[in-house]
Amino acid sequence: MALAVIGKTADFRPANVIGVWLRHFTAFKRGYLIETTAIVVEPVFILLAVGFGVGQLVGQLADVSYAEFVAPGIVVGNAMWHALFECSWGAYRRMQIHKIYESLLTAPVNMRELAGGEIAWGATRAVMTTVAVLAVAAALGLIGSPMGLGVILVGALTGLMFGSLGLVFASVAPTTHSLTLVFTLVGTPLFFFSGAFFPISSLPSYLQPVAWAMPLTPAVQAARGFATGSVGVQEVLALAYLAGLTLLFYPLATYLLRRRLIA
Amino acid sequence: MSVDRKRKTMDPVVRATQLEKKYGRLTAVDRISFEVRPGETFGLLGPNGAGKTTTMRMMACISPPTSGDLTVLGMDVRRQSRAIRDALGVVAQHDGLDPDLSARDNLIVHARYYGLRGSVAGARADEVLEFFGLTARSRDEVDNLSGGLKRRLSIARAFMHRPRMVILDEPTTGLDPQSRNRVWEQLANLKQEGVTIAMSTHYMEEAASLCDRLVVIDHGRILAEGTPDALVREIAGAQTAMLKVEGPERARVVRALAERGYQAHGRGMLLAVHGRDGDRPQVEGLGVAHVIYRPSTLEDAFLALTGRELRDE
Repeated sequence: MALAVIGKTADFRPANVIGVWLRHFTAFKRGYLIETTAIVVEPVFILLAVGFGVGQLVGQLADVSYAEFVAPGIVVGNAMWHALFECSWGAYRRMQIHKIYESLLTAPVNMRELAGGEIAWGATRAVMTTVAVLAVAAALGLIGSPMGLGVILVGALTGLMFGSLGLVFASVAPTTHSLTLVFTLVGTPLFFFSGAFFPISSLPSYLQPVAWAMPLTPAVQAARGFATGSVGVQEVLALAYLAGLTLLFYPLATYLLRRRLIA
Repeated sequence: MSVDRKRKTMDPVVRATQLEKKYGRLTAVDRISFEVRPGETFGLLGPNGAGKTTTMRMMACISPPTSGDLTVLGMDVRRQSRAIRDALGVVAQHDGLDPDLSARDNLIVHARYYGLRGSVAGARADEVLEFFGLTARSRDEVDNLSGGLKRRLSIARAFMHRPRMVILDEPTTGLDPQSRNRVWEQLANLKQEGVTIAMSTHYMEEAASLCDRLVVIDHGRILAEGTPDALVREIAGAQTAMLKVEGPERARVVRALAERGYQAHGRGMLLAVHGRDGDRPQVEGLGVAHVIYRPSTLEDAFLALTGRELRDE
């Protein structure tokens, strides 16, 4: 009953998703220099430090250099960070501190459209960082195949999935402070244990299933497949897994936001 | 056809019937019924925690009623929330402005949800900024605007799509007297243009000078209803006597007034005694040296209705 007030009906206005996305784009343009720096510079530092610095120590893996091995993982790992940050901390700030969601909901915008716009923007930022870092990696000769362009698709799906997940966290977080746990307990372990920096096969055998189940793992695998030009069933399944999780988290975030805001 | 249309324009813009809102065991709005008529400025007057904001939120379709009926612009808030929101302008108590956008972009981004875009939205934004005296600040960040300018911007935002009705929750709370007057002036102008306004307030002066009709609520219930003048006359009479009585004398005077059928309301060092209807209160012969008669105000009526107990939201 309570949920009927805002948008449990069939009517969905895609124009509102675009409207929310344009709000973010307009804000982004205002601070584009700072934003672009965050999107490009940090991942490139990681790429150089880990790829070449650590790479010197590691030497050659099976058939690629260590820098080539880590580059795709760093690209999609950053896509995750941006989408997760935007849709958890950023969304929480807009919702609870500045009460922008409430303004949106007094306009003829339904929660599903609002959440859709937030996630779409999270994914857009993920794509921006994917494209930028992928270009740098390619310029450094770390992307072996023209199919490497497919990494952008992986970045987009990674963004949609972690944007949806981030929004789930934002919708249940009691305080801003509690959201730091998203980064320490979710972002960081995923970034380091999803096979971006070392093959999952080098983990203890009992930890391997855990690593495979982590939602960044399929993204890293698919990105590496595209970057090296070997795309098969496994990569397609990985992308489907990302899409499937998005279809789970997006309605969940919508439901939880309704429960929090429509009272 | 013309009869139909006429009937339609006379129908109430808002109709609440036995409207109730509960949060768990707390009843915020307790089965209230009221109407807002087309073209009028309607005020919901009450102390903090009376249920004003809850009522406003239900009208704005962002809070579903627990029970009772509520129609806005002839539509049901439960089933036709979107169509209501299409035609409504809402100004929340906190401005809900977007700090990441300029003043002008705040208007344009918001108007898009109502279908205004491109050069039409831009032109309308400039028009509205002009009307609210914000043109010079249109490129400013919201955080650099004063409280008064922010409030004006959030009212301006609610007018971008030419709403048939505007809901304002305490539009001048926290503003300095100059800004408050400026907001009043602009609301009065909007009323001239035929916009129906429903507002909540706890400022008597605001209610008295802007509202055609008032509903006084407290503890989620309606205590009185009417035009500001009628309310004052009915509850605090035309005249109020202010008596200066201190120390032990005070109790004696209060008792003597009670014998005459008057209730004395303490106001700091003074006692306020309201007349009945058009008469002056009869306070002669009580041995009080300092008596001043003055016209009763809405504040007299309000305090007489809601008592002196302190509120906290």
